[in-house]
Amino acid sequence: MIEFKQVTKKYDHGVIALDNISLKIEKGEFVFLVGPSGSGKSTFLKLVIKEEDPTSGNININSRDLSKLKDKDVPYLRRKIGFVFQDFRLLYDKTVAENIIFALRVIEASEREIRTQLSSVIKQVGLEGKENSYPNQLSGGEQQRVALARALATRPPIIIADEPTGNLDAVTAKGIMDTLYEINTKGTTVVVVTHDQNIIRASNKRVIALDKGKIVSDTKTGGVM
Amino acid sequence: MKTSTYLFKQGYENLKKHGSKTFTTMLIICATMIVLGIFLILVENVNKNVKTVTEGQGLQAFVSDDYLDDENIQQIARKLKDVENVKEVIYLDKDDAFEDAKSTLKEYAYLLDGLEKSNPFPASFIVKFDKLEGTEDVKETIETIDGIYKVGYNETILNAVMSVADIAKVAFFGIGTVMIVISIFIISNTIKLAVYSNKREIFIMRYIGATNKFIRRPFIVEGTLMGLGSAAISWVLVSLGYIAIYARLPKIGSTLGVFGFAPYSELWFVVLIAFILLGVILGMLGSSLAIKKYLKA
Repeated sequence: MIEFKQVTKKYDHGVIALDNISLKIEKGEFVFLVGPSGSGKSTFLKLVIKEEDPTSGNININSRDLSKLKDKDVPYLRRKIGFVFQDFRLLYDKTVAENIIFALRVIEASEREIRTQLSSVIKQVGLEGKENSYPNQLSGGEQQRVALARALATRPPIIIADEPTGNLDAVTAKGIMDTLYEINTKGTTVVVVTHDQNIIRASNKRVIALDKGKIVSDTKTGGVM
Repeated sequence: MKTSTYLFKQGYENLKKHGSKTFTTMLIICATMIVLGIFLILVENVNKNVKTVTEGQGLQAFVSDDYLDDENIQQIARKLKDVENVKEVIYLDKDDAFEDAKSTLKEYAYLLDGLEKSNPFPASFIVKFDKLEGTEDVKETIETIDGIYKVGYNETILNAVMSVADIAKVAFFGIGTVMIVISIFIISNTIKLAVYSNKREIFIMRYIGATNKFIRRPFIVEGTLMGLGSAAISWVLVSLGYIAIYARLPKIGSTLGVFGFAPYSELWFVVLIAFILLGVILGMLGSSLAIKKYLKA
């Protein structure tokens, strides 16, 4: 599903963000990606959605070699990956429903699809009754749920969450993580970038640790670092 | 709501959101269009004058009295027709020339009384052109044909019309190009404002997987609406202006040798089409420029 083969990314200003890393994340896996600032996590995410290209090595997403992907096909790659940001990145002049519909319009979904998906994802993330609220009328946890619903709306086989609980208290964070685990049980591959040791310890998932652009550990259980 | 309706609505919303800026931009586009419209009307009028002069005047090639037998006349006519840029050749024999002179003289026609037998008027060919440019070459060629002893045309009118035509065309393209470039730049700046205020949306769109086409469309709609709106306003203003001053202008073909103006009923369509095209092109180019840097993969 996500495969890095000896990938190195060196930026123009000389910084090596990823240094010859190889890894494979299988379909349906749940993976935590951890590491201090500057360890290469963000670069990893940018490479997955082809916002950046590797200096050397190969990346395959859903068995597609990204080096062979043309610029015009990049949007279609991104439709297969739902992205959740730490700061939610919601549109504050749109309601919850409109934020989700926005994503469906972007992928040019039909009216029927929009209606079905909207009610389905609202239910999936537990936001029933909040459809007509504006993001600033919601709590941080609820806003992250809207972001999650928006990412899920396009039915991507992969969800990437970049510090999804970074701005939330422990209880709310647990709620968001539970939703992500549930999404994973339905077959979606989930990659969560996090600093939150409590979340990692409480789970029993694969943890890939990066430091200075290299993989320093890759273990199936929590409790690393 | 269909995707196309959604995109159209987004474009319209952007226009409204930056109302005062949109208004200023449209004023500038209107100024460009009105200036271009005035030149266009001038060029159109010049073309119509040129046509009238060309059709009306032509060129007259006089035939020596020694060449008036049928065979020679037919040969000269053939040669004239073969000359490039010659549309039509009409033969006027001596009798026609005499009658023509009489009708020109009108009430003074009695001056020609008694001259019927000795008829001093030469036979000639009226040569009409396809286009006014290069008539000097036609004249020179015709002068070399055996049996033609003199070629004449009303050079003053032709030269005057041609020089007005040249000035109008140079001004149209010169000033037009500068004003179009300025307008594109201004539209582009206004749309950049819309792009900037929608930066967050564009960022999210790109992450979700919007194609460049999808991201670009609302801004193209916005630019095109501005262009079309300006086209409509400019057309109304130019039309009212021309109709108002037309009464005081010399009319085309009314006095020979004077530059005349055509009625607006012969011009409104050309101006309208030109404004619509200009509006669409300005709007599309301006918005494409504005959004360009946000469309990397």
